[in-house]
Amino acid sequence: MGRFFLIATPYFWLLALFLVPFFIVFKISLSDPDIAIPPYVPNLNWNEGWPGLSDFLTQLDFENFGFLLTDDLYWKAYLSSLRIAVLSTFLTLLVGFPIAYGMARAEPRWRPTLLLLIILPFWTSFLIRVYAWIGILSTEGYLNQVLQFTRIIESPLTVLNTPTAVYIGIIYTYLPFMVLPIYASLERMDLSLLEAAEDLGCSRISAFWLITVPLARAGIIAGCFLVFIPVLGEIVIPSLLGGSDTLMIGKVLWEEFFNNRDWPLASAVAVVLLIVLIIPIILFQRNELKQREAEGS
Amino acid sequence: MNFQVFSLTVCVAMAASIVSAQEVRVYNWSDYIDEELLTKFEQETGLDLIYDVFDSNELLETKLLAGQSGYDVVVPTGTFLQRQIQAGAFQKLDYSKLPNSTNLWDVVAERTAQYDPGNQYSINYMWGTTGIGVNVTKVTELLGGNASIGSLSLVFDPSNMEKLATCGVHMVDAPTEMIPAALQYLGEDPNSHDPEVIAKAEAVFAAVRPYIQKFHSAEYINSLANGEICVAFGFSGDILQARDRAAEAGNDFEIAYNPPSEGALMWFDQMAIPADAPNPEGAHQFLNFVMDPENIAQASNYVYYANGNLASQEFLIEDVISDTAIYPDATTLDNLYTTTPYPTRTQRVVTRLWTKIKSGT
Amino acid sequence: MVDPWNDPDAKPLISFQNVTKSFGSFLAVDNLSLDIFEKEFFALLGPSGCGKTTLLRMLAGFEAPTSGSILLANRDITPIPPNKRTVNMMFQSYALFPHLSVYDNIAFGLRRQKMPKAQLASRVDEMLTLTRLERFANRRPHQISGGQRQRVALARSLAKAPKLLLLDEPMGALDKKLRQETQFELVDIQEKTGTTFVIVTHDQEEAMTVATRVGVMNEGQLVQVEAPDVIYENPNSTYVASFLGQINLIEGRATPTASGIDLVWAEGQPRLHCKTDVVFSSGQRCHLAIRPEKIMIHAEEPESRNKVCGTVLDIAYLGNISTYHVELISGHVIKAQTTNDRRISRRSFTWDDSVWLSWTDTAAVALAN
Repeated sequence: MGRFFLIATPYFWLLALFLVPFFIVFKISLSDPDIAIPPYVPNLNWNEGWPGLSDFLTQLDFENFGFLLTDDLYWKAYLSSLRIAVLSTFLTLLVGFPIAYGMARAEPRWRPTLLLLIILPFWTSFLIRVYAWIGILSTEGYLNQVLQFTRIIESPLTVLNTPTAVYIGIIYTYLPFMVLPIYASLERMDLSLLEAAEDLGCSRISAFWLITVPLARAGIIAGCFLVFIPVLGEIVIPSLLGGSDTLMIGKVLWEEFFNNRDWPLASAVAVVLLIVLIIPIILFQRNELKQREAEGS
Repeated sequence: MNFQVFSLTVCVAMAASIVSAQEVRVYNWSDYIDEELLTKFEQETGLDLIYDVFDSNELLETKLLAGQSGYDVVVPTGTFLQRQIQAGAFQKLDYSKLPNSTNLWDVVAERTAQYDPGNQYSINYMWGTTGIGVNVTKVTELLGGNASIGSLSLVFDPSNMEKLATCGVHMVDAPTEMIPAALQYLGEDPNSHDPEVIAKAEAVFAAVRPYIQKFHSAEYINSLANGEICVAFGFSGDILQARDRAAEAGNDFEIAYNPPSEGALMWFDQMAIPADAPNPEGAHQFLNFVMDPENIAQASNYVYYANGNLASQEFLIEDVISDTAIYPDATTLDNLYTTTPYPTRTQRVVTRLWTKIKSGT
Repeated sequence: MVDPWNDPDAKPLISFQNVTKSFGSFLAVDNLSLDIFEKEFFALLGPSGCGKTTLLRMLAGFEAPTSGSILLANRDITPIPPNKRTVNMMFQSYALFPHLSVYDNIAFGLRRQKMPKAQLASRVDEMLTLTRLERFANRRPHQISGGQRQRVALARSLAKAPKLLLLDEPMGALDKKLRQETQFELVDIQEKTGTTFVIVTHDQEEAMTVATRVGVMNEGQLVQVEAPDVIYENPNSTYVASFLGQINLIEGRATPTASGIDLVWAEGQPRLHCKTDVVFSSGQRCHLAIRPEKIMIHAEEPESRNKVCGTVLDIAYLGNISTYHVELISGHVIKAQTTNDRRISRRSFTWDDSVWLSWTDTAAVALAN
C-alpha cells in the first residue's frame, strides 16, 4: 500500500499540475468565443447528463487551429520566437560556459562562494532586476554615462528598446540556468583526463574540444533546454527591454487573450506552443536516458 | 469526499459569506484615490473596506469574465464596460439607494450613456482625454518656437517626426486609443467600425513608424519625466503625472499636456457592481459615498483628474479646476469625441492591424 | 653482456642533470642526477611524498624543473610541451576517456598524429591483441573490469610506440592476486615491445619483480640505484635496508679485522663477525643488517661464529614461511625465518621455547650510520 502511494505520488502531481490544466486549455481551444461569462461556448452542463455531454462534445471543433494557418502572423511569431530562443540560448551558452568552467576549476574552497554569487540574483524579484536593466541601458543610463565619461563614445548609444537589450536581458536572467548544470558536469571531471589527452598529442585547445566539451555535454544540453524552453514563451523581457517591433508568440498569445478576448484562439496558440516545446523536451529526455544508460551499468 | 466533509465545506462557505456582509471589496486603478477617503468611508458606514488595485482594463476584464471575482465595486473604462454589460457581468444600480446621484454632471452622463444606456449599470468616477505629452523645451529646440505642439500633425506628420525621432517618441500601446486618433487626423470618423475605414490608419502609422521608439502601456510616464523621450501620445493623467514628477525632480525642462486641437478622444472610468457581488448593499453605499461632492472633489484634488460630478466643482482646488489639461474649456469640450467598442470580428481586425503597425508583420 | 649502466661507453636514453623541483618552499626533487638506458625497466621506489611522481611528471612534461635539465636521447626536453614529447604515460587513475569506447581510447593518440586509417586500424588491433582486449573493443570504460581498464590504459599509452613509457603506480588499483599476474604481463609486454619503461611505485615487491634497476628515493633524493638483487642483498644505508623487505638491524661499535669488522653491540653478548669491504675506524658506530631468512634457528647451540640465544616471543605463520620473533636476554628482538617444508603439527619450535640463532659472516651487511 505504502509502496503504491510512493509510486503514485509523482503521477498524481503530473496529473494535477500538468495534464488537468492542459486538458482544460485544450478544451477551451476547441470552443468558440462569446460575449458571456465565461467568454466562450459551449459549456458543459452536468445537470443534463449524457445528452448534455454529447451535445457539448458535438459543439467542439478544431476551427481555431485552422485559423492559425490562415494568418501569417502566427507562424511568423512562432518562427521569430524560435529564432530569438535559439540565438539567446547560444549566446547564454557562450557567456555561461566560461563562467561554469572558471568555477569548476577554481580552488575548492572558493566554489561555494562562487555558487552563491550565481544564485544570489534569485533573491531579488525578477521584475526588479529587469527594471534595473532599463536604468542601465537607457540613453541617460549608467552604461552611457560611463562610456561617455570615459570618452569611449561621443553621443549616447541607443540600446534600450532594441533587440540587443532583449538579448542582454535574456542572457542575464537565464544565465544561472545555463551555468549550474554545466558547472555540475565540469566539476565531476577528472583533470588527469586532460593530462592524458595532452600526453597523447593533444594541444590544450584540442583537449578542450575533444575531452572537456564531450564530458560537459549532458550539462550543456540540460542548460540549453532550461534556457530555450522558457525563452520561447518569454513575454516580460521583450516587452520591457525590447522595441515594439519584437514579434514573439507570447505577445501574440497575450493579445489574443486580452485585446481580442478570444480565449479559444489564445488557447489554440498555447496548445501549439506546447507542441513546439514538447519536441525538444522529448529529445532532451531521450538524451538523458542515453546518458544514464552510458553512465550506469 | 464523504457527506460530513461536504457539509463542513458548505458551513465554512456560508460562514465566509456572512463575514463578507460586513465587508465591501473595491477593485480600482492604482494611484486613483486619496486614501484618507477609504478610512472616512469605514468610519461613516462601519463597514470594512477592502481596497485592491489593478493596472489594466484587460486584467479586470479577465477577472470579471472568469466569474466569481469576489468584488463589490469595479472601475472599468467605458468601452470595456459596454461589452462587459453585454456579457452580463454587472447588475443594475438601484438609484433609490444612491441619493447623491443628483450631483452628477449631465455633460459627462450624456456621453457615458453611449456605453451604458440610461446609465443603468454605472456611474462616472473620473474621466480624461487621450492626447499629446510634450517636453516643450526639447521640442521647441528641434522644431522651433511656433511648432504646433497641440496638433495631431506633431505625431502623424513624418516631417515633424523625422526630427523628433532623435529625442524619442513613445505611443501608448492601445489600438483603441491610437487608431481613432489616426482616423481623426485623416478627417475620418474616429469611431468608425468599418474595417475599410479602419485600415486607412495603417498608412498614417506606416509613414511615421520608423520614428516611433516604442509602443508601451505605461513606460512613457517615466521616460517623459526624466527626459529620455520628448513626445508621448497617451492618457492625460499619465502625462500630467510625468509633468509633476519632472517638476519634483527639479529637471530643467517643461512638460505639457494638450488634447489634440483636431479633437481628442475622451475616456470614462465607470464604477459598476458585478452581477455576483457578495455585498451589493455595501457597494451601493460606497457608490453613494463617492458621489458626495466633497468626497469626489477630494479625490480629484489628489489625483488631478476631472470627475463627472457637477456639484463637486466648487470644492476643487484652483490647480485642478483651472487647468485646461484637466477640465478643458467649453470649446475644447465640444470638440471631444468618444468611441464605442468594436464588435468581436472588428476587434480582431483592429488588433491584427495594430500588430502589423508595430512589428511590420 | 655488460649491463649498460655498468658500461662507461653506453649512451643513456634519459639523463637527469642536477634537477631540482620546488613547489613553493617544498623541495620535491633535490639536485638529482640519474641516467636511464634504452630498454630498461626502471622502477622509482619510495614512500609517498618522496618526489618519485614529480620526477615522472617532469619526464612527461606536466612539470618543469626549477633548475637543471632533462635529456631524452641527448636532447634537452625541458622546453618541449607534453604533447610534443615522444613519451607516453599511463596514469594511476588510468584516465580513460569515459565517452569513448576501448577502441577509440586506444586510437586517440594515433588519430592526433593523423595516422592513415588502415594503418591506424591495424595498430589498434595489434594493441588489442597484445593486451588481450579484442572482445572489449566496443565497450565503454565503465563497462569493463578494473583489470581490463588497466590493460586499456596500457594499450593506449603504448599505441604510439613511444621511446619511453611512464607508469604511475600502474597496479595500485588492482587487488593483490591480479597485481602479481599483471606484473609478469607487464614485463612480458616490455620485452616484446622493447620500450623503455619507467615505473613509479611504493610497493617494493612490485619494484623487485618488474624492474631491471630500482632507484630508491627519499626526500627528493636518490638513495641507491641498483639492480633489485643488489639493492636487496647490499643496501647502502639503513633506509634502503629497512625499506625493502624485513631486516634485523643491530647497532653497535666496529672493530676492524682482517676481512671485515667485529661488532660490539650489547652487554654480555658475544661479538658479531661480518665480512665487508667497507673500511670502518675502530669504535665507529655502525649497524649490521641481517635478513631474517639468512638466520638459522636451532634447538641446540650450533657451531657458528655468530650465534645468540633467546626465547620465542612470537610466531608469524605465513603459509610457505614462518617468522620467529626471538627475544634475547639483552632485550633485542631478532626475526628469523624458516620455510615450512613440514606439516605445522610437526613444527620444531613453539612459544617460550629457548632457541639459538646463527648466521654466517657473509650473511650480514655492515652499514655506517
